Amino acid sequence: MKTELNRLNEISRRELMLRTAKTALGVSLLPAGSPLLRAAEAASKSGPGTPGFGKAKHVIYLWMGGGMTHIDTWDPKDGPTKGPTDPIKANAGSGNMDRLGGTMEKMAKVANKFSIIRSMSSKTGVHESGTYIMKTGYEPRGTIVHPAMGAWASHFLGRIKGVTLPDSVVVNSGSSYPGNGFFPTTMSPIPIASPEAGLQNIRPSAGVSDSQFQKRLSLTDEFDTSFRKKFQSEEVKSYSEFYDETIKLMKSEDLKAFDLSQEPAAVREKFGRSNFGQGALLARRLVQSGVRFVEVQFGGWDMHNTIDTALGNTAATMDSVFATLIEDLVSNGLFESTMIVMGSEFGRTPDINENDGRDHYPLAYSTVLAGGGVKGGFVYGSTDKEGRRVADKQVTPQDFLATIGHGMGLPVDEVVMSPSNRPFTVGDKGVPVIDIFA
Amino acid sequence: MKQTTKLLSSLFVAVLFAGSAFAESRTWTDSKGRQVTASFIGLDGENIILQTADGATHKFPLTNLSAEDQALAKTMKPSGQPVMLANATVAQAAQSVDRLVAAGLVRANPERVKGGKKPITGFNPMANDEQFVRRVYLDIVGRIPNHAETTQFLQDSNPNKRAKLIDMLIDSPGYNSHTFNYFAEMLRVKDRLEQDNLRGVPYINWMQDQIAKNRPWNEMVYDMLTASGKMWHNGAAGYLLRDAGMPLDNLANTLAVFLGTDVACAQCHDHPFSDWTQHQFYEMASFFGATTTNMRVAQARKKGKESPGMMNAMNDLMPKIEELVTKSGMDIKRIRNGIQNYMGANRAIVGDMDKNSLKLPHDYKYPDAKPGDMVEPKFIMWSKSDKSLPAYKQKVKEPTELRTAFAKWTTEPSNPRFAMAIANRMWKRAFGQGISEPVTNIDDPKQSANPELLVHLAEEMKRVKFDIKSFMRIIYNTRAYQSEATSEKIAMGEPYYFQGPLLRRMTAEQAWDSYMTLVLGDPDKYTKPLEDLYSRSIDLDLSNPKLDAQTVLVKYDAYRKMAEKERALMGGGLADAGEDMMMEGSKKAKGKADTAPAAGMMENASRSYNGMVLRRAAELEQPAPNGHFLIDFGQSPRSLIDGSIKTGSVPQVLMMMNGKAQEMLTSPDSLIFRTMEKVKSPPEKVETLFLSVLSRRPTLSEKDIAKRALSGGDDGYANMIWALINTREFIFIQ
Repeated sequence: MKTELNRLNEISRRELMLRTAKTALGVSLLPAGSPLLRAAEAASKSGPGTPGFGKAKHVIYLWMGGGMTHIDTWDPKDGPTKGPTDPIKANAGSGNMDRLGGTMEKMAKVANKFSIIRSMSSKTGVHESGTYIMKTGYEPRGTIVHPAMGAWASHFLGRIKGVTLPDSVVVNSGSSYPGNGFFPTTMSPIPIASPEAGLQNIRPSAGVSDSQFQKRLSLTDEFDTSFRKKFQSEEVKSYSEFYDETIKLMKSEDLKAFDLSQEPAAVREKFGRSNFGQGALLARRLVQSGVRFVEVQFGGWDMHNTIDTALGNTAATMDSVFATLIEDLVSNGLFESTMIVMGSEFGRTPDINENDGRDHYPLAYSTVLAGGGVKGGFVYGSTDKEGRRVADKQVTPQDFLATIGHGMGLPVDEVVMSPSNRPFTVGDKGVPVIDIFA
Repeated sequence: MKQTTKLLSSLFVAVLFAGSAFAESRTWTDSKGRQVTASFIGLDGENIILQTADGATHKFPLTNLSAEDQALAKTMKPSGQPVMLANATVAQAAQSVDRLVAAGLVRANPERVKGGKKPITGFNPMANDEQFVRRVYLDIVGRIPNHAETTQFLQDSNPNKRAKLIDMLIDSPGYNSHTFNYFAEMLRVKDRLEQDNLRGVPYINWMQDQIAKNRPWNEMVYDMLTASGKMWHNGAAGYLLRDAGMPLDNLANTLAVFLGTDVACAQCHDHPFSDWTQHQFYEMASFFGATTTNMRVAQARKKGKESPGMMNAMNDLMPKIEELVTKSGMDIKRIRNGIQNYMGANRAIVGDMDKNSLKLPHDYKYPDAKPGDMVEPKFIMWSKSDKSLPAYKQKVKEPTELRTAFAKWTTEPSNPRFAMAIANRMWKRAFGQGISEPVTNIDDPKQSANPELLVHLAEEMKRVKFDIKSFMRIIYNTRAYQSEATSEKIAMGEPYYFQGPLLRRMTAEQAWDSYMTLVLGDPDKYTKPLEDLYSRSIDLDLSNPKLDAQTVLVKYDAYRKMAEKERALMGGGLADAGEDMMMEGSKKAKGKADTAPAAGMMENASRSYNGMVLRRAAELEQPAPNGHFLIDFGQSPRSLIDGSIKTGSVPQVLMMMNGKAQEMLTSPDSLIFRTMEKVKSPPEKVETLFLSVLSRRPTLSEKDIAKRALSGGDDGYANMIWALINTREFIFIQ
């Protein structure tokens, strides 16, 4: 899959890309944001030796489902669009982060450990497509499923341990969609519906011995031979692969990573007994064992009605879990190699609506990054006085994903062809926000 | 009819449009001088049939035309498009469909050969009885046939037995259950709505009732689009309340689902590929510009009672309620949310105001209008001639009539996409692929895999008056459907020409319901509690000025008790399912697996096993809670249209191998074991197992394998059940 371009050494490749774009096509004539120009820009910024490149060996993506209000959390405002709480001061050390939303009490205390992008802007205010874009960089299409970041990493960096440990895991969800996208199903994240329950059904049923289990497996193979011979479709084959993988996983030593009961009670309490808290703890355990990409989902942000009551619990849980996770990674020596990112499908309207809530708002919102080479106490970009528009340094979902890809050391400018022969890149030619890396 | 056609074609040889359903069009003039551009399809007795550019056909008396055009029509050759008489039999209708599929196969061959594939010479071979009985049960009633049903069909010597079985299944309760699953997935039907104070229960019940009555599709959709009031007074109101607070999303979904038209991009900018502009999207949204899902608040605001005074009775009453609760010694913090949600649910009322308040968004950037401009309602058109169609003749005098006008336009048979969208979807249900893909975006019917077939099916949908059962009956009776499943690889995005159905993985619901068949025999006997306790207890009239804190508390208490009772009746399948499973897990590790089922299975009218309620998917919470078999198998979370997942996953495979459902099937108390006990010899027992699980008899070599497996000890039969359930053959529908 490597192109000629990739075989050149990194620096000259980047120079070549830029030069080609400038001379052959005339950069001044290219409209801003033209794909070629952006690809050249991405190539010039990312790659080995650039700040932060490849420092994040692991990523924990904290997904705020429903559309997280930016004004009440990461981008506080005074005046008419201020929400139910007053902004508070952030303990940002030497960084430029001034204040946080009043609900971010614990995060304010560790503000020197994370950065905020306040200039996110996207085009869709629909939950499903907004989620899809924030996880894949592409708009949903009826003809293809695009891979999420974990699968991109598996593609470029290879499987971590083969089949005894998954490369990526999605916590608090029954499904991993969009998961592996057009990459092989073996790169699909494992969904863990409940962190408490962990990986269900990992042992044979009670009373079934190992030898009996083996007997059953070989019987299945024998009975299924003629069917599999007749129908050699991808769907059937990938099912067989899942069986093979699963059987190996059942025997794996690494499974302890999925078992929260191995954590001291005090640690479990510290994360809080919510699914999100326990999910974040599970993410740390998984990262500790080598899992590369863990998404932890947390819902409840779709606050169309009475935001003051809706915000209370949700924001407090998020604040506490996020801060605890940062502290925990630091004390376990994992913070430098693990990037935590927080994203949501969009922000929420600066204006409070007729139901005392806020509606969907993709034009301006925030994301958060921490660890894995990311600066602390830093804010990138800004919105206007009332949080309505991006005032400075707009960042698209594509740029955001390219930033994560850059942190993980993925070649964000490398074109990968899907099985249907269409070209794709990590974050759809987004340009990494290099400033956010130390 | 046939004779007339022959006579006509011999009279006049018009070669202009031979071979294509999209014949050349001309301008026709009627006796009053009005004109329409359309192509000639044929004559049907005293009537003429014309087709407009959108593919819709129109039948009217020939004498309506000018004398000159009447004469011309009588000389023209009919197009290849079949024209069905209103009272055509199912067999005739199925034949017409088959002819069009066959023509499509032939037409596709040059392209296939170019792509390095062998030409198709015809349909796949006819599926044998074993394949057919399994497929048709799964497709129509959503589960595998049980042992008795399979053997009965295989032994039936009636040459018409396939048509008979289709008729029987379409009229059985299993059809309702399976059809509900399909529509619930398509319409994103949920129990717990995004707004956490409202439940979709009355909407779910309404939809199940409509399907059971086989209500025509156009009427169902009309009701959903026009319903007013609270959901428990009119279940159809659930359609708009499902997306309360997101009217634009709701509209995008409405267009995608009912009209096969994807304009979601135009919500925020001009559509990058199609011709839809953002302005057109807002013109459509304008039909809902007077509609609110929060009727009381909207009315109060209009009267000038701004919040917080109005924000509702809630704000006025809450302090008094808190006082009462605290006085009684209870902790208000624990129930405040519950009371607020209870009251909040009663604000969800669909209604229409007398003012259309839809404006262009503040970031509107095109030169044809300014941000914040009011937008006049206007129906989108797929071709210029659409505006002359009856569907477009909607009169709106008051803003309160806007929504009704939209519903009429949508469901009018002459709407260029309504019948086609549902016909294309129903075709996909049977064949695994739509004629036009994706089914949410029939951009140009002429670009579909078989345009003539697509147009014809749309006409058939209208002919059967949107009766889904009648329509499906035709499809299931086609030779194309009754062919063997196609085994060649079809790449994603590659057109498919329907030489037979595609091999499909069972949906989550089909897999679960098949498990239920293996355990219960006839799973349709076990239904959810009939009484809708939610609807009975949730209502509170917030507009009553006499409403006081005491009353709210008394009613809330009653509501809580009903909710508890409901949870008990639903078998604890709601939020507490996860914990329940963990408890079972620890118990399982200690105790013997074979003693639990007998006791567990007899608990109440609905049976359960180790905490799993044994009822069909349609009779459980919508969608099932996380961690449930259905979710692991890919049941749609009901947030995306058609959002289920058909690929495997590690948790799913673990569940198939080691899960509770598996344990249940291989326990000696299961129905499958009991069925096996009815026969004596091991070979007969093996045959029973194969017929029960795979709906077919074992082959000679499989009998040998089985014999060897059984010689290993007593667990031999359990091992065989396990092995058969875990084959790909079990979860794929051929």
